Amino acid sequence: MWYACHTMVLGALLLATAAAVPELSVVLTPAPGRLGVQVAVKRDLPAEWREALAAGAPVSITYRLRLYRNRHWLWDQRVAGHELVVKAQRDPLTGVFTLVAEFDGEILASAEANTLDDAMLWVKQPPTSEIGVPVRHEPLLLFVRAEFMTRYKLLVIPSTVGTDWVQLSVPEVP
Amino acid sequence: MSDWRRRWQRYRRQNRVLVGVYLGLLLLAGAGFALFSRMAGLPPEELTNRLLTFMLWWLDLTLIAVLLFILLRNFLKLALERRYGLLGSRFRTKLLLSYLILILVPTALLFLLSATLLSGAAASWFSAPVEGMVQAGIELADGTRAEVEARAERGARTLAAHLKALAAEPARLAELERLHREMGNDLTGWVRPNVPVVELVDPRQRSLQRLPPLGADALAADGARSERFGGTVVVRAWSRLPDGSAVVVGEALPEGLVRAQARLAAGGTAYERLKLDRPTITATVVLGFGGLALLIVFAAMWLGLQLSRRFTAPLLALAATTQRIAGGESLEEVPLPAEDEVGMLVASFNSMVRRLRAREEELRSTVHRLDTVLGAVRTGVLTLDAARTSVEGNPAAATMLGMPELASGALPLGSLDAEGVSRLAETIRAAKGPVRGSLTVYPGGLARYLETAVVPLGRGAAPEGWVVALEDLTQLQRAQRQAAWSEVARRIAHQIKNPLTPIRLAAERMARHWERNSAELAEVVPQGCNAIVEHVQAMQEMVDAFSRYAKLPPVARRPVRLGEVVGQAVALYQGVREGLLVQLDDRSDGREIMLDPEQFRQVLTNLIDNAVEASPQQGVVSVSVAWDGEEAVVVVADHGSGLPAGDPELLFQPFYSTKGRGSGVGLAVVQRIVADHGGTVRLEPNPPHGVRAVVRIPETAP
Repeated sequence: MWYACHTMVLGALLLATAAAVPELSVVLTPAPGRLGVQVAVKRDLPAEWREALAAGAPVSITYRLRLYRNRHWLWDQRVAGHELVVKAQRDPLTGVFTLVAEFDGEILASAEANTLDDAMLWVKQPPTSEIGVPVRHEPLLLFVRAEFMTRYKLLVIPSTVGTDWVQLSVPEVP
Repeated sequence: MSDWRRRWQRYRRQNRVLVGVYLGLLLLAGAGFALFSRMAGLPPEELTNRLLTFMLWWLDLTLIAVLLFILLRNFLKLALERRYGLLGSRFRTKLLLSYLILILVPTALLFLLSATLLSGAAASWFSAPVEGMVQAGIELADGTRAEVEARAERGARTLAAHLKALAAEPARLAELERLHREMGNDLTGWVRPNVPVVELVDPRQRSLQRLPPLGADALAADGARSERFGGTVVVRAWSRLPDGSAVVVGEALPEGLVRAQARLAAGGTAYERLKLDRPTITATVVLGFGGLALLIVFAAMWLGLQLSRRFTAPLLALAATTQRIAGGESLEEVPLPAEDEVGMLVASFNSMVRRLRAREEELRSTVHRLDTVLGAVRTGVLTLDAARTSVEGNPAAATMLGMPELASGALPLGSLDAEGVSRLAETIRAAKGPVRGSLTVYPGGLARYLETAVVPLGRGAAPEGWVVALEDLTQLQRAQRQAAWSEVARRIAHQIKNPLTPIRLAAERMARHWERNSAELAEVVPQGCNAIVEHVQAMQEMVDAFSRYAKLPPVARRPVRLGEVVGQAVALYQGVREGLLVQLDDRSDGREIMLDPEQFRQVLTNLIDNAVEASPQQGVVSVSVAWDGEEAVVVVADHGSGLPAGDPELLFQPFYSTKGRGSGVGLAVVQRIVADHGGTVRLEPNPPHGVRAVVRIPETAP
């Protein structure tokens, strides 16, 4: 009896721990007027995304970064929004994966990978991007999300496949 | 038209355009905002896809919103109209629901079928054979490249093995050139740190001379790589030597093969991209079909509503007009131009309205004339409704009853219950059919003798109203009474004068014989006294008759069988005179009547007495009893000398006698008793000779 209860409690704890693992890891590096954002996807990408990349179709992951002023009495005010789009495509003739990271439409970094795993690792952990941080009077919140692709429910209702929004408090510059 | 409907129509006219513009701007603004906020920073092809999807979505949503708006607006409008009971709302609701079912059901079915077919068709694009072909193309390209890479790597390792065995640079260079030729490499190179690269290129592959050499730092370990160059794919493999240098062997794939592989790869890439975009394509097509279906629904519904409005407008206008007319408003024509069957209906209705107007005008004229006549006549006329709750009268009636307000409008019948005229109200309330009679009212304390006739209006069982005619006979009765009293006085004087002369003569004769002390005095005095007593006796009888006539008791009615009463009276006269036959014809069927039997026996006695006296020796007196509707009719007929010349009504006057004897009050008593019973009596000839006395008594008391 005692053993069964113990097992159930342990199982519940394991489930809670598993559920608590975030799908998106974000590391913030504060600097005067800037904020370095290093994101990493901790979940598997959709199978069709992976298959499409392996077959030579161009695919991408869009990381959305939104900065909010956390106002005490009013609703949070959005002060900035950025997009980090990481594109990947395999050249079927050479077998080389071309990887490009664009931050707000400008190329942030590019690379080549010879294997699918390397390419996947690169797009799931893109280079650190920097966003401007305004002079603050209230605490700042950063919301980050990764979007992989669009699916449709009932044929016509679009639904974005991606991670949940991750909310972080922007740390003060040390 | 109700006030609510007018308000609603005015509000609708004023705000329709404003509300439409406002909603349109709202939709456009929302669409623009959503579009620009979502589409920023997208690549052109993605932007096109998303824009198309977005536009289709927005078209569909807008159409759905507009359709819902129209439907909700119409349903709300119909619900309000039905709530306020506006004409035509039920009809329009049925029409709208019919249109909805007729349009939505087939369109929805068609849309679902199309969407299913399209979805199936999109799935069939990505069938297993095509998938296999694409995969095979990719594997072929990969395999070819892998084979070339493996060959190049083997070549590089062989080359490195030979160069390791040589120490001097010239020897190595010679060996490199020899092996390049012997192995038939497209490219052979020796890469040393900080020394220019030595590259040997097959003259047939001149384009490789422009290929940038690999850097020494990129050659950390043995390996190979492929790259596109000059329209082909170049595979380079390298192998390191112990001194830190590396030998490179390169091979260019045949351009034809590369082009074929490129085509295969492009097809495969396009296929994969299409596969990735399949949900978007399906959604776009379905949304496009949805938009088309919604457009069809929108157009059909709009057309249906317009048609229903156009179709129902004349009928509703006609129905509204008839309803207004039925509600008592003035007669008006329907001002609606129409040329079809509905137009014929409207024309017929307008023709009917014109005829009704003419009739109404005639009726108004007739009523005016009638009002004028009723205002001018001296007969009082009261009119009552069917329930006899309200009454109004002409000026004559108002004057007779002392109620001027009667002539100016309807009053409750209870207002006639005022002191003095309540008997008239009772008579009106009690009437169950045509009733004639007379009564005395006392408006303002003054007696008025009125002859009344209460008549129900209409021919059905239930009267539509009542009319009461009042004839003021006060003056006439007064004149008649004065004339009657004069006649009575004259006749009393005559009756008294007749015995007075013999009395005076008897007294004078006795006085004369007394003065002469006549020997006949003893004989004359008794004779004179007897004459005087006899005539005084006659005068006493006359006074008694007068007293009886004056002191007739009030009528005490009770239900009796009239046949029995008449039969008892006739039985008394059986054998009253030899040779005279008094016969009874009773057809009363034992029916009862309300009357005073004692007084009615006196009526019968007086009439039969007169008949017996008038009949010849071998005569017959016939007495019959029968019913004529609600009246009992008693007829006493003889075959005597008949009526005297002159007005038979004189015979009913008191102290009028043609027999030269009797008091002359018999028929007067008969008439009074019959009148007290609400009946009538008249004398008429009984051809070939004789008199018929006809008595009519109503079944119930007036």
